[in-house]
Amino acid sequence: MKADIAVVGSGLAALVATRTLQQAGRNALLIWPGLSSLYFTYATVDVLGYSDLTTTQPVDQPEAGVAKLIEDHPEHPYALAGLDALRSGTALLTEWLRDAGFTWQGSLARNLLLPTAIGTPKPSCLVPASMAAGDLRRTEPIVFCGFHGYEDFVPELAAANLSRSWGGDDQSVRAIRVSLPGFEPGRLFTSIDIARSFEDVAFRREVAGRIRREAAVDGVRIGMPAVLGLTHDMEVYSSFAAEVGHPVFEIPTLPPSVLGLRLFDRLRKHIQESGVEMVWAAPAHAAELSDGQCRRILLKSAGREQPIDARAYVLALEDTVDGALRAGVHEVIDPFFHQALAHHAVPTDRTDESLFKPQPFASVGYRVSNRLQPIGDDGRPLAGNVFVAGGAIAGYDPVGSKSRGGLAIATGYRAAREAMAA
Amino acid sequence: MPDSSTGVVVIGGGSTGAGVLRDLSLRGIDAILVEKGDLASGTTGRSHGLLHSGGRYCVNDLAAAIECVEEGRILRRIARTTIEDTGGYFVSVSAEDEAWEPRFVEGCGKAGITCERIPVEEARRREPALSKQVRTVFWLPEDGHLDPFYLVMGNVESARRRGAQVRTYTEVAGFLKQGNQVSGIRTRDTITGEESTIACSAVINATGAWAGFVARLLDVEVKVVPVKGVMVVLSHRVAHAAINRCHKPGDGDIIVPALSVAILGTTAVKVPHPEVLPIEWDEVRHMIEEGSLMVDGVSTARAMRAYAGVRPLYDLGAEAEGREMSRNFAVIDHEQRDGIAGFTSIVGGKVTTYRLMAERVTDLVARRLGVTTPCTTADVPLNDRDDELDQLRHRPAQLGVPKPHGDELALQPLVCECELVRPQDVAPWFADPAVRTLEDIRRRTRTGMGPCQAAICAYRLAGRLVTDRHQDGPAATRAMADLLETRWRGVRPVFWGSQLRQAQVTAGVHLELFNLDRQLMSQGPLPDPPPQAREGDIPVEVASQR
Repeated sequence: MKADIAVVGSGLAALVATRTLQQAGRNALLIWPGLSSLYFTYATVDVLGYSDLTTTQPVDQPEAGVAKLIEDHPEHPYALAGLDALRSGTALLTEWLRDAGFTWQGSLARNLLLPTAIGTPKPSCLVPASMAAGDLRRTEPIVFCGFHGYEDFVPELAAANLSRSWGGDDQSVRAIRVSLPGFEPGRLFTSIDIARSFEDVAFRREVAGRIRREAAVDGVRIGMPAVLGLTHDMEVYSSFAAEVGHPVFEIPTLPPSVLGLRLFDRLRKHIQESGVEMVWAAPAHAAELSDGQCRRILLKSAGREQPIDARAYVLALEDTVDGALRAGVHEVIDPFFHQALAHHAVPTDRTDESLFKPQPFASVGYRVSNRLQPIGDDGRPLAGNVFVAGGAIAGYDPVGSKSRGGLAIATGYRAAREAMAA
Repeated sequence: MPDSSTGVVVIGGGSTGAGVLRDLSLRGIDAILVEKGDLASGTTGRSHGLLHSGGRYCVNDLAAAIECVEEGRILRRIARTTIEDTGGYFVSVSAEDEAWEPRFVEGCGKAGITCERIPVEEARRREPALSKQVRTVFWLPEDGHLDPFYLVMGNVESARRRGAQVRTYTEVAGFLKQGNQVSGIRTRDTITGEESTIACSAVINATGAWAGFVARLLDVEVKVVPVKGVMVVLSHRVAHAAINRCHKPGDGDIIVPALSVAILGTTAVKVPHPEVLPIEWDEVRHMIEEGSLMVDGVSTARAMRAYAGVRPLYDLGAEAEGREMSRNFAVIDHEQRDGIAGFTSIVGGKVTTYRLMAERVTDLVARRLGVTTPCTTADVPLNDRDDELDQLRHRPAQLGVPKPHGDELALQPLVCECELVRPQDVAPWFADPAVRTLEDIRRRTRTGMGPCQAAICAYRLAGRLVTDRHQDGPAATRAMADLLETRWRGVRPVFWGSQLRQAQVTAGVHLELFNLDRQLMSQGPLPDPPPQAREGDIPVEVASQR
């Protein structure tokens, strides 16, 4: 296959890069190496939640926070991508979400502070409007509502933690449960099964009535597991919230994350509908180089090798999550240039003693130039027309600072702009 | 006045202590078991789970081999549901192994072990994963898998039904004495620090590798040599049967299919303290290499975690070290040997012979107490009453796995999808005061033992701490974090391949979706990795044991 610019990846960075190319009128080919963990764990777009790894004080203004981070850490991928890329990429994504039929809230000016499924406040920048009423800067008491026989959201745990860090008195946070019509106890059901049922008008009317009766008081808001419909539009949420009669907000659950499914299914389909060609393939496994340029990448798809010839390439891989980077016992190998991105004498060196601290393996990736080109040991680009975005950039781990989404946006946007100029 | 009293105190909640508690209860002797951690959290729970036919010991340790033969047959009667009859192959992969074969065949004959040489082609037909290097194959139908957790729980629950008590997370702080007669123990709760006393007529020290520390509280010496063994867990059963190398027992020469996984074992390294059990990369690597000689797919299977246990080898004074030492056991009558009445130690041995060890020590103690009721543990099954443990083996069938055509799906809800654990499997344990941590739930139900290593079920279990045990949010959250951290420790030594992707999902759920790291920070300093003694911390009296 031939393409103007090929984007490889299955996450937000790949989508933002592809959309950037499309909006600029370029012919982009999106190579999607399969479902990534985004489907399991994505819910919101976090730009910068915490300014460092030791603080519990959330960042209030993400754009200002990133500007400060760039000033303090000129090697950080945010610095390489630039604040403008974050701004432009965020504007592009926000507009795209609207065009694709989403209703989202938030801006780079201010983070929302939303309770998680364990009842911990968490700062997020862009969120589905169905989550926004959970903002902890609002003052209405919160009633967490779960379902009998459903353990992927435990309202009692969320309430037990949030009541310690938020709210004035014992009445500020409560937990209730209702039973779901048709979901017999003793039968297996998942978030997706429930979300599908919420698409039914009679079902959600019945559940809304049960919640209204159980919540019993006025002036509260209801925090629910994110199962209010399978699709991206707000119809299920809006009509359900109206029936409940209280503000309602969704909270991401244990996987599968319905919020992640809604986001990525819709964006992927929308970009295909708007004319971008997409290839589902196993991760690329080789690149052909000449004269300092990448001429071709080889994909494995449907049992055969498929060559892709493009003028430029954006590698928007999600770390090792989508299987793109391969971790052997000692070395992490990249699929294009077959270089060892990291060498670990013993596998234990890839990790920290604590699961809750930054993991060395998470920051393994391509070292990049200030134009996001992958560079070799000599500091020179491996190929002048290849640009890296997202988790595949070395040297940072977005987990602790809650910045995965913003980094995907900024680097995806910047890599696409560079690919256009190449 | 002591806080409570009983007939016999059993110290140690491994297979031996659990077996002793059951034996006492069957003889009608009132007993309390105290364990400083959880049941099966020491040597027993960290064994590889091979139910020995005796083949492994038949050349070097004939007495131990004969015990294995007899006890294996007894366990198949009394502990049916804790055993899977996988059978075992002993395979030769080198000329050196072949030279060992005549001695092996002779040893099997002497010990009375059923052993049949089968043609390699036939063996490959039955066990296609056997590697190309395999030259000779012996079939030992009495090798099997013995689940160490169910074994201990089965013994303990059987004893509890007869009135015995169990106190977990309770260590012995000292002894009560009247003259030279032990009259009770002082205990300390290892979580709350609370102290208590139990009056009794006799104490049985069944603490295995820790026996020397307990004996020292009475100023007597019990020499136990702690020998570490490292195991690697593969995420699926790479073979149908247990595979042993037909040679002088060495490193990495056992592969045991154990429920949903396969366990590669093991190494033998003398350690200074039973809790200093580092997992060295060379050990892990060596075991995978050695395992690959016997079975294809060992090196490409997903290694899911590694763990280390400690053998409690009893020093009979011989020159032998580590594997050369006998796997036999000894009852130490401290009244006769040291002039301390009412105190007896049981040391050495292994899980397969736990029942016999219990019988021997209980015989002695019962006799001293004037109890003449004979031992019946070889005849009365563990699950002699209606008991959920009986059904553990049949879980997939109970879950109503859908048939390809016809039947409507009737899947039941699961707390742990990896190990097919249902809410009704975990719920009763939340009501058991002996269960103090989520790891204890894991040991009793297998929750969190699968490929995701508790990434999903930890949240559901934490929820139950709030709903079923009325714990506060921070306590439940810390318990969830502790479970994840303990699982993480075992993941780290085998961190390659898809393990990285798995860890990214775990981080995505707990740190990004849940913001667990900030929750923990707001509750106080990040938890230290669960306590593990290090070489520098060894108490003086331990150091002298080296």
